[in-house]
Formats: sequence, structure tokens, C-alpha cells
Amino acid sequence: MSNQKKRNFQIEAFKHRVVVDPKYADKTWQILERAIHQIYNQDASGLSFEELYRNAYNMVLHKFGEKLYTGFIVTMTAHLKEKSKLIEAAQGGSFLEELNKKWNEHNKALEMIRDILMYMDRTYIESTKKTHVHPMGFSLWRDNVVHFTKIHTRLLNTLLDLVQKERTGEVIDRGLMRSVIKMFMDLGESVYQEDFEKPFLDASSEFYKVESQEFIESCDCGDYLKKAEKRLTEEIDRVAHYLDPKSEEKITSVVEKEMIANHMQRLVHMENSGLVYMLLHDKYEDLGRMYNLFRRVTNGLLTVRDVMTSHLREMGKQLVTDPEKSKDPVEFVQRLLDERDKYDKVISTAFGNDKTFQNALNSSFEHFINLNARSPEFISLFVDDKLRKGLKGFVDVDVEVILDKVMMLFRYLQEKDVFEKYYKQHLAKRLLSGKTVSDDAERSLIVKLKTECGYQFTSKLEGMFTDMKTSEDTMRGFYGSHPELSEGPTLIVQVLTTGSWPTQPAVPCNLPAEVSVLCEKFRSYYLGTHTGRRLTWQTNMGTADIKALFGKGQKHELNVSTFQMCVLMLFNNADRLSYKEIEQATEIPASDLKRCLQSLACVKGKNVIKKEPMSKDIGEEDSFYVNEKFTSKFYKVKIGTVVAQKETEPEKQETRQRVEEDRKPQIEAAIVRIMKSRKILDHNNIIAEVTKQLQPRFLANPTEIKKRIESLIERDFLERDSTDRKLYRYLA
Amino acid sequence: RNRSQPSSFTSSSATDLFRSASSKGSSSSKGMDRIDHLFNHYANRSSSQIIDPEGIEELCSNLEVPHTDVRILMLAWKMKAEKQGYFTLEEWRRALKAMRADTISKLKKALPELEKEVRRPSNFADFYVYAFRYCLTEEKQKSIDIETICQLLDIVLGSTFRAQVDYFVDYLKIQNDYKVINMDQWLGFYRFCNEISFPDMSNYNPELAWPLILDNFFEWMREKQA
Repeated sequence: MSNQKKRNFQIEAFKHRVVVDPKYADKTWQILERAIHQIYNQDASGLSFEELYRNAYNMVLHKFGEKLYTGFIVTMTAHLKEKSKLIEAAQGGSFLEELNKKWNEHNKALEMIRDILMYMDRTYIESTKKTHVHPMGFSLWRDNVVHFTKIHTRLLNTLLDLVQKERTGEVIDRGLMRSVIKMFMDLGESVYQEDFEKPFLDASSEFYKVESQEFIESCDCGDYLKKAEKRLTEEIDRVAHYLDPKSEEKITSVVEKEMIANHMQRLVHMENSGLVYMLLHDKYEDLGRMYNLFRRVTNGLLTVRDVMTSHLREMGKQLVTDPEKSKDPVEFVQRLLDERDKYDKVISTAFGNDKTFQNALNSSFEHFINLNARSPEFISLFVDDKLRKGLKGFVDVDVEVILDKVMMLFRYLQEKDVFEKYYKQHLAKRLLSGKTVSDDAERSLIVKLKTECGYQFTSKLEGMFTDMKTSEDTMRGFYGSHPELSEGPTLIVQVLTTGSWPTQPAVPCNLPAEVSVLCEKFRSYYLGTHTGRRLTWQTNMGTADIKALFGKGQKHELNVSTFQMCVLMLFNNADRLSYKEIEQATEIPASDLKRCLQSLACVKGKNVIKKEPMSKDIGEEDSFYVNEKFTSKFYKVKIGTVVAQKETEPEKQETRQRVEEDRKPQIEAAIVRIMKSRKILDHNNIIAEVTKQLQPRFLANPTEIKKRIESLIERDFLERDSTDRKLYRYLA
Repeated sequence: RNRSQPSSFTSSSATDLFRSASSKGSSSSKGMDRIDHLFNHYANRSSSQIIDPEGIEELCSNLEVPHTDVRILMLAWKMKAEKQGYFTLEEWRRALKAMRADTISKLKKALPELEKEVRRPSNFADFYVYAFRYCLTEEKQKSIDIETICQLLDIVLGSTFRAQVDYFVDYLKIQNDYKVINMDQWLGFYRFCNEISFPDMSNYNPELAWPLILDNFFEWMREKQA
């Protein structure tokens, strides 16, 4: 109809209906129907797009849209039914290929048809709200091909079969898979999920259930985890290659559940290959793998952490309660540090420095370190050893590292006040014997303790350092004002402020004349410049260097304790002395004297004195004389030792008792502080608050707190409320 | 001297003042006389106007009541007697007037009524506290030795809480933590008897604010029962 009839210039509105021949619609439809056939038969080259479009257009225009639409559906349906028969007839491997081919053809045809029917799409379908051409094309395919009973199940099984094959190592046509599965995706999310994804996940679940069971029976933990990781990677790869990306999370969940979550406990606890084995043998790679896999499942890391924690606690408990291991305190602490380093490394290397694991490590250490009541003492002894000689030759940076590690252990202690007591004792000995390797290291540690515990903790310790310094100045002043004393024995005095130093009872003893004269001179000098003070000689803490000349002319310089000096000097005026004579002359208390004589007479290589009889122990009937034959390859011989030792049982009891006594006023002070601010508080809350306040120093015992409360009630600091006896009231 | 109205007094003795100020009628002033007379009978040994321990002992024997009997303590409570072992005239008058007793036989007859009055819950707590205070003989004394406490418990609570008292007394005698008991612990035990089922003590919780001595008693009992 290319010729247009000539019209008048006046254009009138198109008011009357165009009478169309009903046969016209049929004829037009036939043209289109034929075209659709040709398109499907890949025979569309001879068609004129423009003509077909116009035909469709006219049909719609002349109100034959419905006929067109219906016709389109019927025709397409018929075609698809034919196609599905063909597909269904395909055998074996070509089934999928055939399906894929036909799908591609259908898509192409559908596009062409959609283009031709575009006007209908935009007008008739819009206004009637029917399904548009393209989606309809998909629905028809879905209903007639995919859901065709003879295809439906077979299609699914074919796909799942291929997946299975690939999982067992065979190579499959991934391109074909992708194409077919994309078809599902194109047909709509629900089609993809219902007709493929869900069955796929179910089948995968079965597959992994079986496989994981096989593996767990035959593999050790490390190998199993490797396999699980491999499968996980595979599935992710599979999704990337031919599944909907949204399926990744779902399939990985399946693998995680079947391979990891279901076997979590068994894996972690596997003997000789599970978590504990890995921890003990530093299997960083395996541990890292376990961490990465387990974090994917609920409670995975919790399980790992719990097993690690109980292992640590068990190991730690054995470590600290083993009597063998507590024999050498320095060894004991070193072992603790080594273990901590080891697990720190595990957490940083394999567990990505996970904070929750750090916390588990810390809480475990805190738990078992406090199982041994001597831990505070031992840590102090460790520090003592390092500060005496252990740090010799260490560079500053390394010193800091060791001290920081010690602080870490310190933080775990519940009874920090016990540590303080021992630390003070050991520090005193170090300072007074001049045996500290590095002043800087000492001060550095004090600063660290201060940062950790507040200045009250360290103010007394600092006082000790001050005393040492002041004493040096005092000595200079003393000798400065007494130049005549530069001949004769040299006296070095350390004046200790009573409150700062660990209390020692002053032990009396008679000093040799030349020494006591000097001491008196010092006393008057000191008291001359410091009126109102009182000085007491601590003869049990001093040392002396004595030059000795023996029978064969051997000259030695002996470094001895004050007590030992008193004893030795007696032999300047007598060749032979009995125990009783020595005791009388020196007035040293019996137990100290016996120890002193023992170290002078009974120790090989140091026996400057000989004893009769030659028994091991000092008896009160023994007599002593100089060992003229004494030899030593060293000129300077050290006899008196004031090294900090592990306490004996009675000493330990005493220290413990003093600590307990010290705690009482601290508890009371805490109670008063709290009640002063709260005015009224009930019993449970007082206990909780007091415990919290004292926690940086020690773990307060609720019974002890109760005792203190009752004491405070008795002394009218507090009273019980008259109506509610759970409450306490502060009495101003 | 029989006086029916207040008289203008020329003497300044305290007793005259008291008597004249409080007389309400001939019978009561007569009664007051008799009460005083009774007082004097027991107080005549000491130089000051006071009944001393010996006097109390005689009183007890006249009342036919052992002097360790709780009723004497109750009488002291009624008197609000301040010093253990001594009754002043004022205290004597206070009790006997309230009990309407001016002879020994009347006093004796009034004792059961007194006991009932004391045992009333509203009064007993007060009496319990009084009993403890009464035994604080020295100035600034705040605690009572174990032996006295054991006797006191027996006297004061023995009839109502026999089992608790017996067991607790046993415990007090063998424990070493406390040599004396203070008011807080004394009161605690009374609460214990009233609130805690015995001997199972199933509702006792040592983590609450009970005095420590009771916690220890509880532990000791548990060990015995095991």
C-alpha cells in the first residue's frame, strides 16, 4: 500500500471508524504467523522487517491486538512443544547441548519477534496489562520446555551429574554449564532457585556429608583441614565459572556445615593431630588454616579458643604445681616467659592477632600463675637474678624487652602486695651489697611498676635509692671533715630510712675495736648534722673486705659479712678459740653464729678457719683455729654471701603473715572510703566494691572483709540499719 | 507519818520531796510508804540508800526464786536498773509501783504477770538488749566474756530456743576465734533464732550480712551433720 490517495488540504479529524474487512485481520495474521515459523526455522533472511512491523502495527491499530497476541502465544507454544520433543529425543551428552542450542535459537527468535511486535508491546499489552512479549517468551519456554515432564527431571539430573563428575576430578564443559544455568537465571530468580539451586544445594550437602565422613575416618586433622579448604576453594571457583554469584554464600555454607561444623569437636580434639598437638608443635600453617576455616562457622572460633584455654590452663597448672619445676625460681619464671612467648607467636602468626585469643591467653595465665602461692616471690627472684648478673652484656633495648615481659607476668599476679614485699627485700639486698648490674635497669623497672600500680607502690622503693645516694654524699662529707681517718680501715656507711626498707630486727654484736671506734666517730658526725634522729647499726646486713696473711705467706683479700669479720678478727689475738669464747666475745646470736662459722670453716675452697672436730655441723663444744694452709687461686676470695635465696618455710610463713597483717588496714581503709561516700550500703555491694578497689593489690577475701566490717562496727565507725539488717550505715 | 495532802515542807530531804510530790491519795501514799519500807529492809546493810548484791540475794530467797532466775533479770528490766547487782530506791519504786506490789507476797504473785509482759514480742527485743547491757559492768566496756554470755543466753533464751542455745553454747565453748561477744553478735544470734529454721538451717546464707561468728557456727554445725 505504498500509493496514497490524494486528499484535500483540509484535514478533518478522524471521526468515523475505518471499516475494515474482518478477513483483513486474518490475512494479516497469516502473514505474521508464517513469518514466525520462518524465524523459528532459521529461515528469516527473506523477510522484510518493515513489512512485518507494519502488519503488526495495523492489526493493533484496527483493534485486532487480541487476535495478534493470542496468535503469537499459540504459535510460539506450538513451536516450543515441537522443540522440546526434539530435545527430549537427544541421547546422552547431546541432551544438554541440544537444549542449549534450542534455547539460544529461541532467544534469537524471540528477540526478532519482539521487535516485530513492538507496537503491540507498547500499546495493547500496556493498556491491557498483559505480559509483555519478551517475558512471555521466557514463560512459554519455561512451561513448555524446562517444565516439560520428560525434560524437567532429566535436565536437573544431568546438571547435577556433571557437577558430581567435576567434584570427583573429571573435566566437564564449563561453558555449556554456564550457558544452561544462565538460562535458569534468565527465566527468573525463582526458577533458578526452585529448579536448580535448591536441588543443587541438597545434592551438595549429601555429597559433602559422605565425603567428610570418609575423610574424618581416614585423615589426621591437618590433612582434613587441607582437604576442606580445597573443597571450599573449588566451590567458590565453581560459582565464579558457571553459577549465579548469589549462590556462593549458600554453597560455602553447605561445605562449612558438612565439613567443618559437623565435625568441629572431633577435629579439634583429634589425638595426635588436633589443636593441642598443633599448638605443642608450633604448626603455624595448620593452625592458621584451622582458624580461617573455623571462623566461618558459628562457634567455630569459640570452640578453638575454649580448647586452647583448657589446654593452657592444664599445662600451666602442671608447670606451676610441679615441685621439680619450683626448685629453681629463675628457671620457673623463664619457663613461664618461654611458654607465653610461644603462644603469643601462635596467636600473631596463625590467629591473626585475634583479640579474643589474646584475652584467652591472658586469662589462662592469670588463672594458673596464681595457683602457686610462691609465684610473686619467684618473679621477684627472677628479676633479682637478671638485675644482678643476667643482664650483663645486654643492650638497652633488650633490657627493656625483658623487663616488659616481666611486667606482663606481674600483671597476672593477684597478690601484687606479696610481690612488693619480696621485691623490697631483694632490692634492699642488691643495693646494700652493691650487686646490681645496671642502675638504669633498676630505675626503669621502678618506673614500669609505678605506671602499673600508682606512685604509692613505688614511693618506698624510690626512697631506698634516695638513701643510697644520700649515703654516698654523707660518706664524702664524713671523710672530708675527718682527713686524719684516711689512714686505717675505710668505713662505708649506708644510712637507711626505717620506713622505706624492709624491717629487720637489729642484731647486736661486738665489733672489733678498730671498727667500733670508726663507727662511733661516724655516729657523732651524723647526729651532729641530723639532730633528733636515731641510728641503729644493722650488723646482720654489712660486709667487710679484710686483708689476710696465711702461714706460708699467702696473701688474700677476703670479702666477708660483718659477723664473719668479727669472728676472724678475734684470731689476731688468739691462735685457737672455742665456740663459747667466740660467742662470748662477739655476742652474735647462736643461730647466726653457727651459720657464720659454718661458712668460714666447712665450705670447700673457702675454709679460712679449721674446726675440731671436723664434722659437718657446728657444735657448741667445737674449737676453731686459722687454716694456715689455706689456698685459693684467686687473690680476692668471697666468703660471705648475701644473695637473695628462696625463703625457708618458717621465713615464708612469716612473710605471709606480715602480708596478711598489712592487708587488714587496707581493707578497712577501703571500707571506710566507700561508706563515707555512699553513707548507706548493703552487704553484698560493700563486698563487691571493696574487692574491686583492692584488686590492683590483692584479691580480698570476703570473710576477711566481713571481719573488718564487724571490727568497724565495734569501733563505732559503722552501724547496722535498725530496720534492714542487710544495710550498713556510716557514722560520721 | 500519815499525810493526806501535800504539806509545806521544811526539811529538804530528797525522799520527802519525792513522796510529797507524788502522793495522790492516802492509800497510795500508804502504799508508797510500804514500798519504801520494803526497800529499806533490803537496803539496810549498805551505808547508802541502795540494795546491794547481798540484799538482792535475800530478796530472791524471800521471793523463793533462785537469783540466777530470769525473773530477777526481768524485774531489773522493769526497774530499768542501771547497775548490775544493785537497785536504787528510784528503780525499786518504779517497778513495784507499776506492778502494784508493796509486800513481798504481792511482789511474788506479780512475777508471772511480769514474765508474760516481758515475753510479749513488743517487749522481748527490748529486754534482750537490756540483758546484754546489764552485764557491762565496767565503764567503756563493750563486750562480754564467753562464759558469761553462755549463762546469759541460757537465762534469757533458754526457755524459748532451747536447742539453738544449747548448740550455740557448745560451739562458743570450743571455738577460739572470739574470746568476747559484742552487742552486734548478741543481736545477731537473736535474729538467727527467730529467722532461721533449726537445726537444718536451710535458709541461712553465710554470704549475707550475718555476723561472722554465726557463719562459723553454721559451718561447724554443717560439719557435724555431715
